[in-house]
Amino acid sequence: MTDAMIEFRDVTKRYGNLLANDHLSLTIRRGELMTLLGPSGCGKTTALRCLTGYVRPDEGRVFIDGTDVTDLPTHQRELGMVFQNFALFPHMTVHDNVGFPLMIRNLPRAERDERVGQALRLVRLEGYESHYPRQLSGGQQQRVGLARALVYRPKVLLLDEPLSNLDAKLREEMRFEIKEVVTRLGITAMYVTHDQGEALALSDRVAIMNRGRLEQVGTPEEIYEHPQSRFVAEFIGLSNFLEGHIQAVDRDTMVVAAGGLQVTIPALPNAGPGQRVLLFLRPNEIELLRPDDPGGTNVFDARVEKATYLGDTMDYRLGFGQDLTLRVQTDAHRRFGQGQRVRLRLPRIRCWAMTSG
Amino acid sequence: MTLARAYLRAMWDAKLILAYTILLSLTMFILAPFLMIALRSVGKGWFGRLWLPPQLTLDWYRWAVEVGNIPEVMKNTLIIGVIAVVGSTVIGIFAGWAFGRRQMPGKEVLMAVILLPRMIPPITYALGVAKIFYTLELVDTYLGVALAHVSVCTPYAILVLSATFEGLDERVLEAAGVCGANTIKRFFYVVLPLIMPGILASMIFSFTHSYNEFTLTLLTYGPHTVTLPIRTYLAVGDGYWEITSAMAMIMVVPSLVILALIQRRAEPEKLVGGFKGV
Amino acid sequence: MTRFWRTHSVTLITVFLLLPALAGFFGLFFYPMLLTAVLSFRPEGQTVGWTLENYTRFLRDPDGQWVILLTFILALGSTALSVLLSVPLALILREKVRGHRFYRLMVLVPLVVPGLIGALGLLLFWGTRGWFNLFLTQLVPFVQRPVAVNYTIHGLIMFYLWLYFPYTCITTLSSLESLDRSIEEAGEVSGATRWQVLRHIVLPLITPGILAGSVLTFMAAFGAFSVPLIAGGNYRPLAVEIYKQIAVPIPARWSAASAIAIVMGALQVIFLSLYMRFVRRAGGAGGPR
Repeated sequence: MTDAMIEFRDVTKRYGNLLANDHLSLTIRRGELMTLLGPSGCGKTTALRCLTGYVRPDEGRVFIDGTDVTDLPTHQRELGMVFQNFALFPHMTVHDNVGFPLMIRNLPRAERDERVGQALRLVRLEGYESHYPRQLSGGQQQRVGLARALVYRPKVLLLDEPLSNLDAKLREEMRFEIKEVVTRLGITAMYVTHDQGEALALSDRVAIMNRGRLEQVGTPEEIYEHPQSRFVAEFIGLSNFLEGHIQAVDRDTMVVAAGGLQVTIPALPNAGPGQRVLLFLRPNEIELLRPDDPGGTNVFDARVEKATYLGDTMDYRLGFGQDLTLRVQTDAHRRFGQGQRVRLRLPRIRCWAMTSG
Repeated sequence: MTLARAYLRAMWDAKLILAYTILLSLTMFILAPFLMIALRSVGKGWFGRLWLPPQLTLDWYRWAVEVGNIPEVMKNTLIIGVIAVVGSTVIGIFAGWAFGRRQMPGKEVLMAVILLPRMIPPITYALGVAKIFYTLELVDTYLGVALAHVSVCTPYAILVLSATFEGLDERVLEAAGVCGANTIKRFFYVVLPLIMPGILASMIFSFTHSYNEFTLTLLTYGPHTVTLPIRTYLAVGDGYWEITSAMAMIMVVPSLVILALIQRRAEPEKLVGGFKGV
Repeated sequence: MTRFWRTHSVTLITVFLLLPALAGFFGLFFYPMLLTAVLSFRPEGQTVGWTLENYTRFLRDPDGQWVILLTFILALGSTALSVLLSVPLALILREKVRGHRFYRLMVLVPLVVPGLIGALGLLLFWGTRGWFNLFLTQLVPFVQRPVAVNYTIHGLIMFYLWLYFPYTCITTLSSLESLDRSIEEAGEVSGATRWQVLRHIVLPLITPGILAGSVLTFMAAFGAFSVPLIAGGNYRPLAVEIYKQIAVPIPARWSAASAIAIVMGALQVIFLSLYMRFVRRAGGAGGPR
C-alpha cells in the first residue's frame, strides 16, 4: 500500500485554446486534507473533474490508491463528493438521498437504514430522514450532501467549493464540522476553493494553482510565511514587495540593496551577490517606531503618507528610502497621523526573499 | 448475459451511432411526406412501383391554375385573410393595451377565457357559428368567413400584443418627455417604433392562421368563398393526387418560407402553439 | 355626470378597450356554444321543445359508441406513442450533438403545417405506391406484398403521432433542460451508471413535464378534424362524425350534430380533470422547486 492515495501524473486538459490543466503532477497522501486553491479559471475544478472521471484528461494519468483510474468510468471510482450547490435529489427524502449510493450497490434494506442513520448522526441530522431537501436550510442541505458522500465509506472525499453557497457565519461553522468529520474518519480528502481563509484553516497541505499550473504545494504555514512566487505571496494575505539585488552574503544572512537602502535578511541557498531578488514582507510584521527610537539593523526613517482607521487596526501607507512604499498594519492603540515622521523596523527573520518572482 | 441483453448493451455502448440513427430516421419520418407531395406535384406517368417519377412536368400546376381556379381561390384567400388580419389586429391592439398596461382584477382568468376558443376543438363551436351565419345570411360572404377567421386569430393576437404593450417601458416615455417631446412626437418617435415589431408579428401570425384555416371555413364557405385549404380538400375528394399535390404545394410553400424567415429572428420554440389548430 | 366620469374613468376606459374583444368572444364563441347546447336538446329540425333523444340516440347506438371508442383509441394510442418517441428524442437532443438545431427544427415542422397538408403527404408516403411500401417490397427480403397503412386504425394512430408528438417532445425537452446537471453528476459519483441515473434521477424529475406535454398531444388528437376527414377512410372519430351529420344528410341534422359536439366537449373535460388528478398524485411527492 502506497502512501499516496491520490496521484495526478502529468495531467493535461485543453478546452480549445485554453489549457485548463498543464502537466499537473500532484500527490495527496493517505489521510490528509489537501486543498486546491486558486482564482477562478486556474484549473482546480478541472483537476477535480479529472479525478471524478467526469472529464477525461488529454494527457497524463490519474491514480487512486495505486490504481490507474484514468480510463475507469465515474461510477466505478468509489468516491464521495460534496457539491457547491448541494446537488441533492429533489424528489427523494433525506433518507433516500443519503441511502442512494447504498441502494445502487444493492445493499439490503436493513443495512441501508442502519448506515443512513449512522451517516446522519455523523453530520448531526438525526430525525430528518423524512424531510425533503426543499424543506431544509442551506447548511442542512450541505450536511445531507456530506452524509451522502460518506455513507458508503469511500476511500476519497472530494469537496467542490462546498461552502460558497452558504452565508458567512454558517461558513465558519461548517468549516469546522467538515474538518472534524474528515479527521474523525481518517479519510483522504481533496478540497477545492478560491477562499484562502478556508484553505488555511482546514488543510493539512495546500496546493496553489494558477492558469493550469501548480505554483506551490506546502503546509499552510509554508505557503503563508514562505511563498515561493510573487503570485502565491499576493494571493494569500496582504503583501509588500521590494525589488533589489544581493549585495553581500555572509554565512546565514545576506544584505540586499533596495531603493537605496540596505536590508539584512536570512540568506537564500545558492544565491550570490549581484542576483536580483524580490523581498516580501507582510504588512502586519513591520514594526512602527517613533522617530527618536534607537536605530539598528533594518531600521529606516519613513513618512506616513496615508493613515486609515479600521477599528481594531490602523492601515498605513509609508514612504521611505528612494521612492519605496510599504503598507503597514498595526493595532490601533498607538496612532500616527498623515505626514508624520516615523521609523520602521523590518524584522530580519520575517523577511522573505525570492529570486526574481 | 443473454443475447437480448448483449444486444441492448451493444446498442447502449454505441450510443452515438444509435443517436444519429434515431435523429436521421426522425428527419426522414418528418420530411418524407413533403417530398412525396412535391414529387407528385411535378410527376408525369408515375404509376406502378417507381421511386421517382419518370418524367417531370408542370401540367398539374397549369391545370390547377386554369381549371382548378387557383387564381380566384387565391384571391378569396387573400381578401379574407386581409379582413381577418385587420379585424383581429384592431381588436388585439385594444384588448392587448388593456391587458398589458391597465389595472384589471382577474387578468389571468380573463386571459384564459380569451384563449378558450383555441383550447377546444373548433368543430364544437363552429356548429353554432354556422347556424348563426345561416340565419344572418353571412354564409358564403367574405365578411362571414373572415369573421369566423377572426375568432381563430384574435386570441393569439391578444396574447402577442398584450406582451408587446406590457414591454413598453414607461420610463422611456418619461425620458422622451423630459427631452422635450410632446404626446404626438412621443407617439411617433418612441411608442410606434417600439410596438411596431409586436404588431407586425401579430399580423403575420394572424395571417398565417387565416391562410391555413380549415374547420371553420368548411362550415361557413360557399361557391364564392373557396379558400386554398378548402380547394385542396375538394381536390382530395376528386381523387387526383397529382392535382391535389400541386395545390398543396401552392398552399404550403409560402408558409414555410415565412417560417424560415421568422425563425431567423425569433426562437422557434416560442412559437409553439402559434401555428397549429386546424 | 362628470363626477361619475372622473371617479370611474379608469375602469371605463379599460372596459372600452376590452369591448371589441369581449364582443367578439361572445358573438363568435360563447353564443355559438350556447346555441349548440340549446340545439342539442331540440328535436331535429324544430325550433321549440326539449328532448333528450339526440343524446340517447347517439349514446345507445352501437355505432355512436364505436365513434367514442375510436376517438379514445386514436387519441390514447397516439399519445402513448408520442411519449415513447419523445423521451429518447429529448434525451438525445439535449446532448447538443452536431446539427442539433436542425433536428429541433424538424420536431417543430408538424406544428407549422396545416393538418390537411400533413395528412396528404402522409397518405402519399404510406400508401401502396408510396416510398414506405416500395422500401418494404423491394429492399426488405421476405416481404412481397405492400402493407396497408392508409385508412387503417394503426395508420391513423401513426398519422396522429406525426402531427402531434411535437407537443410532448418540446415540453419534455424543456423539462429536461431545466434539470441541474450536477444532480446527475452526484448520482454518478455515488456509484450509479448512466442508465441508473436516468432511471432513478432523471426520469422521475421530468415526469411532470412529460405528462404536461402528453396532455397537449391528447387534446389535439382527441379533437382532430381535418386529418381523419381526409385520411380516416371509413373511420370517423367524434369531430368527423359531427361534421358528417350536417354535411351528408339532407336536411342537415343540426340537433344530432350538436348533441355529439356536447358529448365530445364533456368527454374532453372529464378526461382532462381525471388526468390532472392523476398527474397531481403522480408528481406529488416532490418535484424540483
